[in-house]
Amino acid sequence: MPGALDADFDTFWEKFRREAPVPFKAGVYAGAFVYTVTPVITVGVPLPSFALPRRLRDKHADRVVQHDLYLVRQAVFLLKIAGGFAWGADPRVREKLDLPPYAGDPGGWRTK
Amino acid sequence: MSHTAFLERGDDRSFVCDWVVVGSGAGGATAAEYLSRHGEKVVLVEAGAWRDPEHYPTTAYGAMRDLLEDWGAQITRGRAFWPIVQARTVGGTTVVNSAIAVRTPDDIYALWRAEHGIGGELFEAAMKRFQDQLDDELKVEVGPPESRGRNNELAYAAGEATGIEHHYMRRYVKDCEGSGQCMQGCKSGHKQSLNTNFVPAVLERGGEVLSNAPVKRVFFKGNHAIGVTGRFRHPGLGTKGGRFTVRARRGVIVAASATHSPALLQRSRVRLPALGHYFRSHPGTGVFGLFDEPVDMNRGNTQGWASIQHRTAKHAYKLETLAIPPEMVITRIKGGGTKFMERVADYRHLTMWVLGLRAQATTGTVRNGLFDKPVVSYTLCREDLAAFRSGLAEIARLQFAAGAKAVMPGVHGLPYMIGPDEIHRIEEAPLDPRYYIAILSHLFGGCVMGADPRTSVCDLRGRVHGHEGLYIADASMIPTVLGVNPQHTVMSLSRWVAANLVEG
Ligand SMILES: Cc1cc2nc3c(=O)[nH]c(=O)nc-3n(C[C@H](O)[C@H](O)[C@H](O)COP(=O)(O)OP(=O)(O)OC[C@H]3O[C@@H](n4cnc5c(N)ncnc54)[C@H](O)[C@@H]3O)c2cc1C
Ligand code: SF4
Repeated sequence: MPGALDADFDTFWEKFRREAPVPFKAGVYAGAFVYTVTPVITVGVPLPSFALPRRLRDKHADRVVQHDLYLVRQAVFLLKIAGGFAWGADPRVREKLDLPPYAGDPGGWRTK
Repeated sequence: MSHTAFLERGDDRSFVCDWVVVGSGAGGATAAEYLSRHGEKVVLVEAGAWRDPEHYPTTAYGAMRDLLEDWGAQITRGRAFWPIVQARTVGGTTVVNSAIAVRTPDDIYALWRAEHGIGGELFEAAMKRFQDQLDDELKVEVGPPESRGRNNELAYAAGEATGIEHHYMRRYVKDCEGSGQCMQGCKSGHKQSLNTNFVPAVLERGGEVLSNAPVKRVFFKGNHAIGVTGRFRHPGLGTKGGRFTVRARRGVIVAASATHSPALLQRSRVRLPALGHYFRSHPGTGVFGLFDEPVDMNRGNTQGWASIQHRTAKHAYKLETLAIPPEMVITRIKGGGTKFMERVADYRHLTMWVLGLRAQATTGTVRNGLFDKPVVSYTLCREDLAAFRSGLAEIARLQFAAGAKAVMPGVHGLPYMIGPDEIHRIEEAPLDPRYYIAILSHLFGGCVMGADPRTSVCDLRGRVHGHEGLYIADASMIPTVLGVNPQHTVMSLSRWVAANLVEG
């Protein structure tokens, strides 16, 4: 199964930054911040998540989304939603799940 | 006939009509269509864009961006932050919903009579007549067997195995193909969302539609509502456009939903003690079942099966199936990192069955917030949480009865997967809303109808107490939860309000 990091995150992120409303974006940025600074409460290491060795980073990713502090897990939940958008719509993931590729989002509306 | 989608800043326009209807969802489109059918000149004003099936998105991201209010990110204020999901588009939430058509249960009429002093034989007979008509006009039927899909068939097998009341659902869908994509709008045009029928009918009968036109406020002459005003908003750029003013000779009908109708009246300076109160909901949540066979929940009717076995029980809820796309499934699968990716690989083998809680004891409030955003305060009380928890356990039992190997209850603190002998762990989960993931999609109240102006906002005919020419015709007038899907009740109530206006 292609992982979240195999999905075309850059293209998605670019689009998301352009299109998402400010409160939604702010929530996702807050989630990213919480994710980055919480290894100390999940794996006991006072480093930002990106500086953790791979095995610990994996443990952190698993623990932070299930953390007992509601605000912590809710903040990261938003990040998970954004990641889910990129991952779940990736044609390789859909193929693996026996689903046809998405036809895209035309984004138009009636003008007359 | 005309549709105005946007006007540039500085290009201010006035419109004159008999009736202005605010909101083009289940309530608004139904009232507007009925009035224009009877020769009234209607202007239907909608905050969102008018999207036809060829404009519909295909991804969940696109659905949030193009069809949902605030990208589906409006949340409750309270102990837990639960999303409130509503559409912002011509046709309202009927564009994104699963089109399940359920008649108003008789016990609801009895409850309204007993507790709210409203109803009576004439009303009930009219509601039933309107529901017959709507069945016919919106082609209500049970989906063809070949469109069902395994998610629904397995639920049916569970119903048969356990002997509970259960059925395949009737929906406003003609010849459903079972693409499992109702939330992104029905691209094949089978679903009878109201942007495809009632709204165009308003235009055909000489009415006007303003889209991308959020109403800022209702304006009055004395206590008589005589029109609405606001500014167009560009659906792509989000920029403000020209001002619109709609003057209505006969009256203003507010049908902007259970969150927006009370907020709109509040910012229009309507002062009634019950305004924004008695907000209610059917909070929804689900349990995944893991099967040996591929289920492929995204093939089949998005929601095809239901059980109302527990609708009138002490712990009252309705059970249904639900197909959600992979993008959304992963938000419901616990964990992160490698472990999470291993779990996601089970996607094809998952069923998703959900409950809609008949949360009778919990009420919330709605108030107009910054930038005209409704602020909803709502925390499920312990009594309703106990019912919620017992509904989750019941879904788990049904999943096992259908042959699931394990279920994923999705409750914080519980293991990711549990077996049949561990269902008691769900029943013992804490009565704290923060332990559960839920959404609010069936919304009621905020402008409830009733006989007493101290405890209600409008009367049975939708007339706002203490005002002339101001009416409510949407889910905000419903004074209780229903325990069944609301659209049929919303539409028939709206037609009832409109019929009374036509008949004087
Ligand atoms: C995902 C989902 C699935 C559902 N599935 C079902 C189902 O299968 N069967 C069922 O019976 N019910 C279902 N429901 C519930 C049902 O769709 C709603 O109960 C019903 O649509 C409510 O009707 P309404 O007219 O009150 O509001 P809506 O249908 O939400 O319409 C309100 C409209 O008012 C507009 N509006 C808001 N503010 C303004 C303003 N200031 N100016 C102008 N316009 C404004 C909004 O943009 C919107 O178009 C579902 C709901 C959701 C979210
Ligand atoms: S399941 Fe697919 S075909 Fe059927 S109504 Fe929903 S979107 Fe349309």
